Amino acid sequence: MLNYIRAETYKVLRRPYTYIALAVMLVLEGIFAAGFAFHNSHSFATPFGGAIVSIVELRAIGFSMCLLTGDMVFAAQYKNSTLKNEVSFGISRTQIYLGKLIAQTLLSLVYLAIMMAFFIGLCAICLPIEGPAGFFSAGDALIIVGYFLAAGIPLWIGGQAAMCMCLFLTNGEMTSSFLYVGIVFILDTFLSVTGLLVQGWLGNLLVKTSEYFPRPMLDTAKAVVGDPVYLGQAWLVGAFWVTVCTAIGLYGFHRKEIK
Amino acid sequence: MAENTAVLATYGLKKAYGACMALDGTNMMVRRGDIYGLVGRNGAGKTTLMRMATGQSQPSGGEIELFGASGREMGPQRRRTGAMIEIPSFSPFLTARENLEYYRLQRGIPGKQTVDEALELVDLTDTENKKFKSFSLGMKQRLGLALALMNRPDFLILDEPINGLDPKGVAEFRQILWQLNQERETTILVSSHILSELSNIATRYGFMEQGKILEEISAQALHDKCRTCLRLEVDDASRAAAILQTELGTDKFEVLPGNVIQLYDCLDDPKRASYALAQNGVALLAMEQKGADLEAYFLNLIGGGRHA
Repeated sequence: MLNYIRAETYKVLRRPYTYIALAVMLVLEGIFAAGFAFHNSHSFATPFGGAIVSIVELRAIGFSMCLLTGDMVFAAQYKNSTLKNEVSFGISRTQIYLGKLIAQTLLSLVYLAIMMAFFIGLCAICLPIEGPAGFFSAGDALIIVGYFLAAGIPLWIGGQAAMCMCLFLTNGEMTSSFLYVGIVFILDTFLSVTGLLVQGWLGNLLVKTSEYFPRPMLDTAKAVVGDPVYLGQAWLVGAFWVTVCTAIGLYGFHRKEIK
Repeated sequence: MAENTAVLATYGLKKAYGACMALDGTNMMVRRGDIYGLVGRNGAGKTTLMRMATGQSQPSGGEIELFGASGREMGPQRRRTGAMIEIPSFSPFLTARENLEYYRLQRGIPGKQTVDEALELVDLTDTENKKFKSFSLGMKQRLGLALALMNRPDFLILDEPINGLDPKGVAEFRQILWQLNQERETTILVSSHILSELSNIATRYGFMEQGKILEEISAQALHDKCRTCLRLEVDDASRAAAILQTELGTDKFEVLPGNVIQLYDCLDDPKRASYALAQNGVALLAMEQKGADLEAYFLNLIGGGRHA
């Protein structure tokens, strides 16, 4: 397994795509931070704390990033027919699947670390550390962001597992992307609305189920900062999604014809 | 040869795609040391058979054994194989060297020099830094072969490996396979539409049609069957055989059913045979010179008229 992850890392680090996507994200973050600095130069003073807390509002980007990191590691292996090289050498399908999932997750975490460090660093350089009353202090803001990340990481990993499942179950990146968007961004809303229309025990069940999707869980996290129970729930839900998606993905991949 | 020397064996192997039977009870055996030429026309099931041997596809029925292992036990045995099935496929954004290094890391093959050796073997050292997406088909074939050979396999599975190679490449490829077989004792299963190329290297053949192996035959036996002869149709084959022995002093003939004799002597002077038979009262009903190459033999086997 270690060999497999090493090989995936070798491949990803040699893809221009990896660096271009990261550069684009950092530029967007730079523009976002520059927006605060620009406001500050026009009398509206957003301090460091106020700026970094705003990143919580961009939480859905984490789930979108799963699309990118999944695709970077999977590297169109169905389209390029390269999976046959791995299967025919006797690398088990379980190892291939888990190897790719772990590599995707590691890449996501590296991306997250770089993007967070870049944004927080940029805000620290460009914005005043202390601001007027009404804004979060730097310390409070870092606690909020820290809690948000602690709750978000397992849920994003759950999203990554869903993306990995979609990549292995479908035959193309476009199809897998649509399926992923459907599962992570639309299905919870659909269940929730259907639950409200149906009402009764079934309706309640649907609404309750929709609350345990990664995205709604993370939406709620910003309102319960510091709550250790919710943090535990976030890790349980993340683990559940990783387990279920991996089980479904492995089941499908084991039965798939490699062409 | 004993069955325990079988590298790949299939027993009633079946593969269905909907109502279509790609393999329909295939029985075959590749023995250690063979260069096994798999001959069949398009859609005969050659690639499907190879895909099952390499784990890319699962059988619908029957059994397949690799180095004596079947089912899940085949997985570890596949590490002793190298394969190139259909068009070689690699990551287009990586160079030849990077692609091989990726698979070397993935397979845990020790030593970075392995990549250099593989590239050198297939004469791709000059293009090692060119991205795979800009490779010609011939270069892709070479890289595919390099990957298949990188782990020094005991068993090599090659599906149409000389497609896209220029004449020099074909000759080099043939030489590589021959060397592997002779020096490393690599067993090779190879399919090709270019039957003349197969006939240059194969030591054993399997003829495939409609998902079945019609015949397995050694190169020597095929050579004997295909060699040029005089086909004599007589009224009494046993008497004719005795006459050929006594009058012409030859035993280079076969007596076939239907009072037919295949004579492998007197090819440059057929009159000697007809005269000797006539002199001794054996009626010669027909005589023709006959010979076949691999292609003609295959076409005859599948019923003629269709191309491999």
